[in-house]
Amino acid sequence: MLKNSLYLIISILIATVLVVLQTTLSNLIWLSSIDMPVSIGLVLNTFFADLIGMNLGGAIPLVGLMAVGLLIAYGVTRILLIWIDTRKSYAYALAGAAAILAIVLLMPLAFYNLDLIAGARTALGKTILILCGLLSGYYFGSRIENKE
Amino acid sequence: MRNLKVLFLFIFSALCLNLSAEDFEYKVIAKDLSHPWGIAMIDDNNILFTELSGQLRRIKDGTLEKESISGVPEVLFAGQGGLSGIILDPDFNENNKIYIAFSSPDEGKSTNTLEVISAILDSNSLKNITTIFKASPSRRTAAHYGARMAFLDDGTLLITSGDGFNYREQAQDLDNHFGKVIRINTDGSIPSDNPYTGQDGALPEIYSYGHRNLQGIVVANGFIYENEHGPMGGDELNIVEPAKNYGWPAITYGKDYSGAMISPFTQKEGMEQPVKYWIPSIAPSGMTFYDKDLFSNWKGNLFISALVPGDVRRLVISDSKLIKEETLFSDLGRIRDIVTSPNGTLVIATDGPSGKLIRVQPK
Repeated sequence: MLKNSLYLIISILIATVLVVLQTTLSNLIWLSSIDMPVSIGLVLNTFFADLIGMNLGGAIPLVGLMAVGLLIAYGVTRILLIWIDTRKSYAYALAGAAAILAIVLLMPLAFYNLDLIAGARTALGKTILILCGLLSGYYFGSRIENKE
Repeated sequence: MRNLKVLFLFIFSALCLNLSAEDFEYKVIAKDLSHPWGIAMIDDNNILFTELSGQLRRIKDGTLEKESISGVPEVLFAGQGGLSGIILDPDFNENNKIYIAFSSPDEGKSTNTLEVISAILDSNSLKNITTIFKASPSRRTAAHYGARMAFLDDGTLLITSGDGFNYREQAQDLDNHFGKVIRINTDGSIPSDNPYTGQDGALPEIYSYGHRNLQGIVVANGFIYENEHGPMGGDELNIVEPAKNYGWPAITYGKDYSGAMISPFTQKEGMEQPVKYWIPSIAPSGMTFYDKDLFSNWKGNLFISALVPGDVRRLVISDSKLIKEETLFSDLGRIRDIVTSPNGTLVIATDGPSGKLIRVQPK
């Protein structure tokens, strides 16, 4: 139980860090495309500023948003796995992807189609964020698989 | 002796402070209004104003008319969208012509856009309605329309067009209307001396670019003053000049609502700096330049209404530099618009589903 909780926390942190990274990079890639002086140092500084800002300085703490989304998705997956015989790593990977898909699709519905996560404004951005969820879910599922 | 000097200085400062202040009182002109947004003064006692929910209403001889003015086009009343900016033609007394900006739903689609119409106010209805501007491309979002207007001295019309929230990067491109100040003639045609006329890949109606959500614009003393909402922090007052780039979102003093940086840059060569920026945000809304004598200490000052926490900022500006900022009327709640009445009183619209029009007059 303790180990599972630890895996869950790490999985949430993986999703959070990857979403922050996607946000930082999507902003800086655009800035670079219009000839703003984006250096490696600036990428690192901005990433760490975003890591703090998106978790402590935003309207909704990102880590909390990820936690809620993943907890619901993992909970549903755990129930489904009673009846469905498949590898846990795959099942939880899909759950992680579904959690972020739900976040990026449902949040705009609540805010007049506004994408509050800037990186989610394009189809490519949404896809990358869903992949972030997939990775964090895969981590969680594979840890549980190994433990068993 | 030293204490006496301090006391003298204190009394002198207090007297000076009192001299710069104005004694005023509020008079409610109209109440229970549905999201009043834009005000146009016909004269001191006759006022047209928009309600975001879609009504054009009139104060006639000092009294709110129960019936709203008919003939107003369908608007998208959602989010920040609805019936928004209003301005009278410079020759309104002769031609009864007005201009209205609003969020317009695209027929049969889930998109909408900023539209500006001209119309003749005939008794209690709008006639000869003509679309003179429609922002392109349309957006899926219901936010950041801009939708304020002002006339230049040459009779051309400036329209503020917001970045649509989700489309912020397009404020840096000249092939669209997101995050721009637009300049057109009153019949919708494009003045031949616009800065991007004849430039490949640029829309000729664009006057300036790199704006976010422009909520106030006035022309006074040869300057175009424009205020705009930043994201979290970074609201700006700018002096607009043709073909200038105001930087959004490449440079900004604000952060995204998610807490992320929109840009780590606050300045760059070729991008204009604001006259003033606010952190935290004040959510500037309307704006008026006070050029009357009734409140003599306020003459020549810029007044910006603000939604957060709700007040009016009096700005003393000299040579494009901010000299002084004073917070006024902070007991009225969120303020959506402010205009100067011909007699020198100020008229304010408070925001929300039971908004008011309030006159600020000498005590």
